[in-house]
Amino acid sequence: MKQSSLRHTLAGLAIVAASGAAYAEKANDTLRVAFTKELENVDSYFNSSREGVVLQRAVWDGLIYRDPITNEYSGNLATSWEWIDDLTLELKLREGVKFHNGEPFNADDVVYTVNFVAREENGVKTQRNVNWMKSAEKVDDYTVRIHLKDKFPAAIEFLSGPVSMYPDEYYAEAGPSGMGLKPVGTGPYKVVSVTPGQHFVLEKNENYHDSPKGQPEITNIDIRTIPDVNTQMAELFSGSLDLIWQVPADQAEKLAEMDQFTVTNESTMRVGYLSMDAAGRSGDTPFTNLKVRQAVNHAINREELVAALLKGKSKVVWTPCFPSQFGCVEEAATQYEYDPEKAKALLAEAGYPDGFTTEFYAYRDREYAEAILSYLNAVGIKSDFKFLQYSALRELNMTGDVPLAFLTWGSFSVNDASAMVSQFFKHGSLDDARDDQVLADLEVADSATDPDTRVEHYTKAIERITEQAYWAPMFSYNTNYVSTKEVEYTPTADEVLRFTTMGWN
Amino acid sequence: MTQFDTQDPILAEITGPTPGQMLRKRVFGHQGLMIGAGVLVILALIAVFAPLLAPHDPYAQSLMTRMEPPVFLGGDWEHPLGTDHLGRDYLSRLIYGARVSLMIGGIAALISGVIGTAMGVAAGYFGGRVDMVVTFLINVRLAMPVVLVALAVVAILGGSLQVVIVVLGLLLWDRFAVVMRASTLQVRGREYVAAARAIGASTPRVILSEIMPNIANNLIVVVTLEMAHAILLEAALSFLGLGVQPPTPSWGLMVSEGKNMMLFEPWMVLIPGAVLFILVLAINLMGDGLRDVTAPENRS
Repeated sequence: MKQSSLRHTLAGLAIVAASGAAYAEKANDTLRVAFTKELENVDSYFNSSREGVVLQRAVWDGLIYRDPITNEYSGNLATSWEWIDDLTLELKLREGVKFHNGEPFNADDVVYTVNFVAREENGVKTQRNVNWMKSAEKVDDYTVRIHLKDKFPAAIEFLSGPVSMYPDEYYAEAGPSGMGLKPVGTGPYKVVSVTPGQHFVLEKNENYHDSPKGQPEITNIDIRTIPDVNTQMAELFSGSLDLIWQVPADQAEKLAEMDQFTVTNESTMRVGYLSMDAAGRSGDTPFTNLKVRQAVNHAINREELVAALLKGKSKVVWTPCFPSQFGCVEEAATQYEYDPEKAKALLAEAGYPDGFTTEFYAYRDREYAEAILSYLNAVGIKSDFKFLQYSALRELNMTGDVPLAFLTWGSFSVNDASAMVSQFFKHGSLDDARDDQVLADLEVADSATDPDTRVEHYTKAIERITEQAYWAPMFSYNTNYVSTKEVEYTPTADEVLRFTTMGWN
Repeated sequence: MTQFDTQDPILAEITGPTPGQMLRKRVFGHQGLMIGAGVLVILALIAVFAPLLAPHDPYAQSLMTRMEPPVFLGGDWEHPLGTDHLGRDYLSRLIYGARVSLMIGGIAALISGVIGTAMGVAAGYFGGRVDMVVTFLINVRLAMPVVLVALAVVAILGGSLQVVIVVLGLLLWDRFAVVMRASTLQVRGREYVAAARAIGASTPRVILSEIMPNIANNLIVVVTLEMAHAILLEAALSFLGLGVQPPTPSWGLMVSEGKNMMLFEPWMVLIPGAVLFILVLAINLMGDGLRDVTAPENRS
């Protein structure tokens, strides 16, 4: 750190201000947290944001639970499960569990929830999370069977992740919008109030069942949406927030230098990549040429991006999935070392000796996007930079109007390659590669029950995708959690804030 | 110029200083005008000679030397004003940014000046229906909030230097039209206009050689005001991410890029903010000064 009296004046003043105000909310047993993005709907099936996942894990429970550290599965709302055949999973449910509104939890709730979310016309936001289920059937009050459309080995992983159980009577009446305003679940925290997109107040569920999530310790959780990171930090200094997360690396470094905050860095499953329109859906683009795509891959200095911009536990990623995911075989991926000269040569071979100009889209991390843009500029790929909201870019992407984009995917923290590679390469509306060979391999890999067969075909798919340079995978994200010293919390590597494991020092 | 030799003290005493001399005296005696014009000339020279003055390529990224502090905060002379969040030289980006600001200010003021002056002079000179139509258009334009319309248009068309210049040029003509209309109304009844008409001068001739020279002083003042206005609007649009797009260096964009580190590295916002302030101040000082020295009440 370079010494200078002026440089840290502001921060210094803030510390002085903070010293008087700290310790305020531990006394009230209220943890105050900031969200950065506005959450469109608390109903976890109808949002696709990280904030939504955080609330989902607090308010609702899944049938199964995966320990974030050991990755072992245990029963949550189900106590045991068994495959009747490849397409039928039978689960025994936990007895005596009640929803926050007093409704008892039983097989009817599971049947209703599964049947509702599995129907495509009900419009669950991320179809991948639910469209592997066909229906559910009640065997008796505490036994259900879930029928699959096709063989789906990642079923247990999805049941322990994004698929949470809703109260049938209440959900039938309230629907997704009612659920979003007055959420009701079985989870460790119940929702006291929701100001859509802005303010969420949670309270400890005193009657929480004996769940592997553990019993909540902190009584109240008060969450406010504060989009600007400077404001978040100012509130942390002044003592009106106890915990902020997703803090950018630069700011986290500075906060770590001030020793009244705990700064923890954890990796996440989010992968940042460049997507190129190899199929030519946006018209006649240079990216239909393999050499151009390879040039893009060679133009980017991934090591430098990770070391200087992302920092922390981020790593260079070569695969179109997160390396810890099942089936995400790192060795299968072609690695394109940083070599701007080679990139220029490839562009020349492709018929673009002077480069070309393309539209370049991004929706988050403007700074990273600019750095990438600058690498591309250096080899002659000039760009018309467009920075859009996520939803707007996603829509453009679906209609195939995006020649080149810097995108990221967090896989909903599902530790299986199907949550990422199959999301984008199975000829869906977001698929700009449209490769039949990849499709065929993914079809097998997604539905085979034998783990070795799955790995074999994911390997083939990854080989093909990276050989053809459909994407330029670049790096994995990390996230910084910054809290006051009063808060005790050990973050996990999946970017999910778990209120149940938080306490006071 | 005059045919008398003004160096002759006797003649000078009889005739007094010529109008040119009086104007020169007023100009050089006006501190605000001199300071404003001086700063503006310096900035314009910097913008023109940017490639010679900038110590580094303003686009050269060096992620390993990001956010180095400026010299006065403990940095080194390699990067006198430090480096930005991508390790690009701050001084070089400031120098190239002057081009963007001045170009946008100048061209936008030119476009709106042509539109506004044509409308205002036509309304003032012809009166009647022309005036009604122009006044209506001015009112329509005044009813639209500039920033909001600019934001919306740029959001639809996509931000780029050209789009920003054209949008601002097409939005900022209202003050030209209002002032030129009022000024034309004042002078069109004057004797010299009537005299020009009486000797058979055509309408374009009357407007160009009788009216325009006599309302030019007001025009110059409005030009400076609108130039400053356009520069500030560009900075605002770029700050919001809808103006000039990266990697083009723009002062507004630099403020925006430095904003995230404002709490820890305030210089990243302060430096571009300060030069923006100085430029706008200089233009406004010059505009005020020009009004002072050209206004009729100051001629005697």
